[in-house]
Amino acid sequence: MSDPFADVFDELIDEDEELQKVHDELSYLLPEAHFAVARDDGSLYGELADDILAAHLSSRRDQLVEEKIESFPLAESFAYCTKLPVDIYIVFTLPAEAADITSQPQLHAMYRNSLGLFAAGRRHEELRIEKEQAVRQIEVLTSRHTTLLNDNHDQFLLIQKKEKEYAATLESEIARQTKEVRAKNEELKKASKLKSEFLANMSHELRTPMNAIIGFSGLLLESDLNDEQQDFAKTIATAGDSLLVLINDILDLAKIEAGKLELSLAPFISRDLVGEVQNILKAQAQSKGNTLNVEVEKGVPVQMMGDDVRLRQILINLTGNALKFTENGTVTIRARMGGRDGSLQGDMVTFQVQDSGIGIPANRLDAIFEKFTQADGSTTRKFGGTGLGLSICVQLVDIMGGDIWVESEEGEGSTFSFTVSLPEVAGDVVEDKAKEEASSTAQAREITVLLAEDNLVNQKLASLLVKRQGCKVEVAGNGLEALEKLKTDIFDLILMDIQMPEMDGHEATTRIREIEESDESNKYASLKDRSSRIPIVGLTAHARKEDEDRCYAVGMDAFLTKPINKDKFAATLAQFR
Amino acid sequence: MPSARELIGKFSDLKTLPHVAIKVTQMINSESSTIQDFEEVIKLDPILMVRLLKLVNSPYFGLANKVETVSKAVVFIGMKNLRNLVAVEALRDLFKEKEGDDSGFSRPGLWVHSATVAILSQMIAKRIFGQDGENEFLAGIIHDIGLIVEDQLVPEELREAARNYKNGDQPLTVYEQEVIETHHAKVGGMLVLDWNMPEDVVLGIKKHHDTSKEYPIPGVVSIIHIAEYIANRMKYGAIEGKADPLPPYLTPHMKERMAEYKVLIKDLPGEMSKANDLYGDDK
Repeated sequence: MSDPFADVFDELIDEDEELQKVHDELSYLLPEAHFAVARDDGSLYGELADDILAAHLSSRRDQLVEEKIESFPLAESFAYCTKLPVDIYIVFTLPAEAADITSQPQLHAMYRNSLGLFAAGRRHEELRIEKEQAVRQIEVLTSRHTTLLNDNHDQFLLIQKKEKEYAATLESEIARQTKEVRAKNEELKKASKLKSEFLANMSHELRTPMNAIIGFSGLLLESDLNDEQQDFAKTIATAGDSLLVLINDILDLAKIEAGKLELSLAPFISRDLVGEVQNILKAQAQSKGNTLNVEVEKGVPVQMMGDDVRLRQILINLTGNALKFTENGTVTIRARMGGRDGSLQGDMVTFQVQDSGIGIPANRLDAIFEKFTQADGSTTRKFGGTGLGLSICVQLVDIMGGDIWVESEEGEGSTFSFTVSLPEVAGDVVEDKAKEEASSTAQAREITVLLAEDNLVNQKLASLLVKRQGCKVEVAGNGLEALEKLKTDIFDLILMDIQMPEMDGHEATTRIREIEESDESNKYASLKDRSSRIPIVGLTAHARKEDEDRCYAVGMDAFLTKPINKDKFAATLAQFR
Repeated sequence: MPSARELIGKFSDLKTLPHVAIKVTQMINSESSTIQDFEEVIKLDPILMVRLLKLVNSPYFGLANKVETVSKAVVFIGMKNLRNLVAVEALRDLFKEKEGDDSGFSRPGLWVHSATVAILSQMIAKRIFGQDGENEFLAGIIHDIGLIVEDQLVPEELREAARNYKNGDQPLTVYEQEVIETHHAKVGGMLVLDWNMPEDVVLGIKKHHDTSKEYPIPGVVSIIHIAEYIANRMKYGAIEGKADPLPPYLTPHMKERMAEYKVLIKDLPGEMSKANDLYGDDK
């Protein structure tokens, strides 16, 4: 057996001790024998320590093989020797018979077995230690296994914790961002409100000069002019009208986008709705050689509930468009029951405006409903317009909960359709009072009108209009002046501007109504001895619905928007004569 | 001549372990490191990643299914084992080149010595004392790092000290002190201060030549002492052909457990080739 590290511990091993240990172990196994143990270097331990033996041993040592007992005769007896499995040799003699044990198989076997037992004992000890070390290693592995399990469990907990932390961070992050978004949203709302307010003011600022342009060009046209002047004045009037339409469109759109547009539902007569559109646009149709037809199909109720003003606006828009792009053709306004696919769906009504005009290219069909877009850029140059009309229609139909679409073939014409739910109103047909009254203006008494208005141009225009109606007029620069005038002179009607310095129209109206209710009225020539309260007609460039509502709330009896429409003005005035 | 601190100040190659090794030791000490963190760091070093997977898929772990991800590998081999692998990986290249000369010092020779001490230390811890021996392994692989620092900065002086040592009868540290005015155990102990090593490992490095005191048995220092003694006796010494005697305080223990140590060293060649399979250089 060659052990490369056999001598590693030599320093630490006491060789005599080792020999003695081997000798002790062997003497237990070989009680009968006299023997000695020896090392390579010749050192001996035991009873047979004589020189012959030692010399004999050293001469044979190299041939000695483990577990084979060799014998050689001595003077008195035989001696035997062999190599032990620990680099130690044993030499022994047997006391009694000096016979050669190799010839006595039983004895030989006994000694060989005893030596074998010694070797086995040694190996056993080694194996025991190996086993012990193996057991320790297994223990280490087991504890490492436990550590691994614990580590992994810790990892599991750790990851769980981190995930929770992450979730928490995520939540707070979301909360933070939501808060930010909310704040932004608030800001936007505020900005949007500011925009609306700005537009409302703009509406006033825009309408005031328009009032003058439209009003005076209208008056101008009625005066004595030569042909050229007539032409100029007409151009101004037409331009003013289109500008007003545009301003109204923009303001409408702004109102819709600001969410400020509210529908006002009332019963109306279906045939009147389309009839009015036809009347309004008749002249425009004729000027381009177009026939404008109206068809209300069977089944459409006579009277329906809806916002007829807005419906009319849509129809006028669509029909106006159709007429614009049609020449020497036909435009038909149609109303029928049912939805887009033609099937009846409760109160669903479909309005259609069909023309035989230039049509729209297929690839532009979707785009035309967008703001500021027409079929193509050249259309604007050729036909004019802003492209706002259809966009307003889309928004209005949307607010009414309906659907709008177009079918068209280039060169053949287009059909614009929209649906809207309009419940039938049973019972008596409502009469359009204003119309009736407006039509009965023929005979009217002469009345005196007090005009409260700060703007000089408007003072002049309104005065002229009042005078045209055969009435007298006096002007007050603001609410306070108006009150003073009411003390001294007798008036039958007040035209009250809203925005005025010192005392505005609302305040003045409130004040007048208070005076009428009290004894103070005696001091006012206009207010005492009246059978009913003095009519006050609001006059304002603020065209929003809430402005109108406010006027009625403070006690006005009617409401007119600037620029003043001549016919409307006349009709309103007539109501109070 | 420089002090240990000054030597280290000049030693740029290894002032810090490679980033990955530092990070891994740090994470092992931190209780809040997750396996994912380990994975992210180890992935930065492809060689380390390959070795880790090789290690965990070796017969030593005897796993039924092949492990293909770093995080799974870390789960199986455990944190301390991972740290040791990283340390071996980080140090390996420092022990290359520079063949030996008559002084008996060479870097490759020192690598064999360090590996032998590391493996023996772990075997002793496991087999004699029934402990996991991971820290002993780490201390063993690093314990002579001070010699590398000296070889880098004062190679002539180191060789002079080694020659004196070969011809003398004192420990190497005594001759280093004479020539260099410091010695490798001091230098090594100071160097690893920044490496986030466990305290007993640092102590094992600092005191591996200190025979003036009796260190607790078992313990990293005493086990390193025994392993160093056995390795030297097996001719795997730090300086070729020289072995220091066993520190006297260990003699009774060694004599008492002699049979066990004899059995243990018979298994050393097997353990060394196993370690070579696990940690060895592919080249």
